[in-house]
Amino acid sequence: MEKITFASQLMQYLITGLTVGSIYAMVAIGFNIIYNVTEIINFAQGEFVMLGGLIMVFLHVAAGLPLLAAFPLTIILVTLAGMLLDRLAISPIRQPSVLTLIIATIGASIIIKGIAMFIWGKDPFDLPAFSGRNPIHLMGAVIQPQYLWVGGFLIIIVILLTFFFEKTIIGKAMSACAENPDAASLVGINVKHMILLSFSLSAAIGAVAGITITPISLMEYDRGAMLAIKGFGAVVLGGLGSFPGAILGGLILGTIESFGAGLIHSGYKDAFALIVLLAVLFIRPSGLLGSVEVSKFKRF
Amino acid sequence: MLKIEKLRAYYDTIPALKGVSVEVPEGEIVSIIGANGAGKSTLLKAISGLIKTQQGRIAYKDQDIAGRAANKIVALGISQVPEGRQIFAHLTVQDNINLGAYLYFKRRNRAEIAERMSEVYTLFPILKRRVKQIAGTLSGGEQQMLAIARALMGRPELLLLDEPSMGLAPLIVREIFAVIKKLNESGTTILLVEQNAKTALNVAKHAFVLETGEIVLEGLASDLLDNPKVKEAYLGG
Repeated sequence: MEKITFASQLMQYLITGLTVGSIYAMVAIGFNIIYNVTEIINFAQGEFVMLGGLIMVFLHVAAGLPLLAAFPLTIILVTLAGMLLDRLAISPIRQPSVLTLIIATIGASIIIKGIAMFIWGKDPFDLPAFSGRNPIHLMGAVIQPQYLWVGGFLIIIVILLTFFFEKTIIGKAMSACAENPDAASLVGINVKHMILLSFSLSAAIGAVAGITITPISLMEYDRGAMLAIKGFGAVVLGGLGSFPGAILGGLILGTIESFGAGLIHSGYKDAFALIVLLAVLFIRPSGLLGSVEVSKFKRF
Repeated sequence: MLKIEKLRAYYDTIPALKGVSVEVPEGEIVSIIGANGAGKSTLLKAISGLIKTQQGRIAYKDQDIAGRAANKIVALGISQVPEGRQIFAHLTVQDNINLGAYLYFKRRNRAEIAERMSEVYTLFPILKRRVKQIAGTLSGGEQQMLAIARALMGRPELLLLDEPSMGLAPLIVREIFAVIKKLNESGTTILLVEQNAKTALNVAKHAFVLETGEIVLEGLASDLLDNPKVKEAYLGG
């Protein structure tokens, strides 16, 4: 009896870890999209998640819009916030160095957080789960239906992004900007538009992460920074710029965190991500799926 | 077709072009020769909008294009094959070619793209056999061909070529210059920048010699080939 409970507990940690990890993976993908086009680490990435959750709560719970209307509307509003971030904080900087731009994103994240506190206050908000809260039992573990939504949306995002980058000319143009902005503008690509697009895409993905995680862990105004750090940990673990790396990194990080919290001490939950981040930087700075050769040329 | 008047450009405070005037008549091949650091690439980058110029005029078909963004200048019909090829090394050959026609994709002109693509592949049959290959794995000569092919996808009326012979074996250089001649015969105006003075002067009608940001000699390419100063400095005596 004792043994079965322990096994089912491990199963529970794994499932919770993969769910949280899916959110980290979404944040990490958002980081990579912007990084690949601009070499900027956008530390406001977590704020998109926070905005996604809180705007969804406002539209769905407070304003009473049905789920199917509130969901796309939230994504659109957060995408607009992403575009504003580019237009107000990134684009106006003259002769930008990558470091200046990164600092600008940190500044922007503080401003977004402040605005959110003004609007929503400091209390956490709940959102009804998409398909109820009747748990599914699997091998002794409890699975909230919302967990499946989180995983499902990660899969949808991955499929859509793969299609976008592999099959569309705009996706290819974005890859071209990432590789060689001068050559890209020589074939007629407007590099500034591509940067704007990268911020929009990242914001939209952040919104999805926020909307899907809020029914599980609630959402409040200051959650963004920690999510950004976790997402960044996932990016570094997977290899900066690598999309498969972001997904793998996110899932591993979520799982480590969940097992660590369950088996060692839940108070150290947030420390595990940072320990992993530091360990990767010490042992293999290029990440799991990053190329060592390429990492030599990276400025960060 | 292209008239550059007293163009000045700086890198920070260091002057790279000190009042350069160059004219490229329609339908011609014009060469600019000069040593490393003479300002040849800077001149081409100024034309294609990659760097800002401080003074002077760049008139293309009688409109001043100085200061316009690079992606706007391509749309006018000026394509540049940049120094060192600058292909998108992580993308496939086909993706590189497609991106060359980016403006046509934006205008949804599929027929035009297909026509252009078959022309480019007729010009460089080797690329057709490599369509699925990652561009960075091509040989130097093939990469140069790809860079030219990508520029041609934009259907340029004026093609700017920056050192197409750089780092290539003589046989491949000959092949590439044969293509350049063929392009010119089919109506493309070409401005060629080269260190390889002999090849550049042989293919051009008019030529300019650029030294530390200034034009020091200009005239018919055939005259420059016989000019003792050019012979000594650029043709190895």
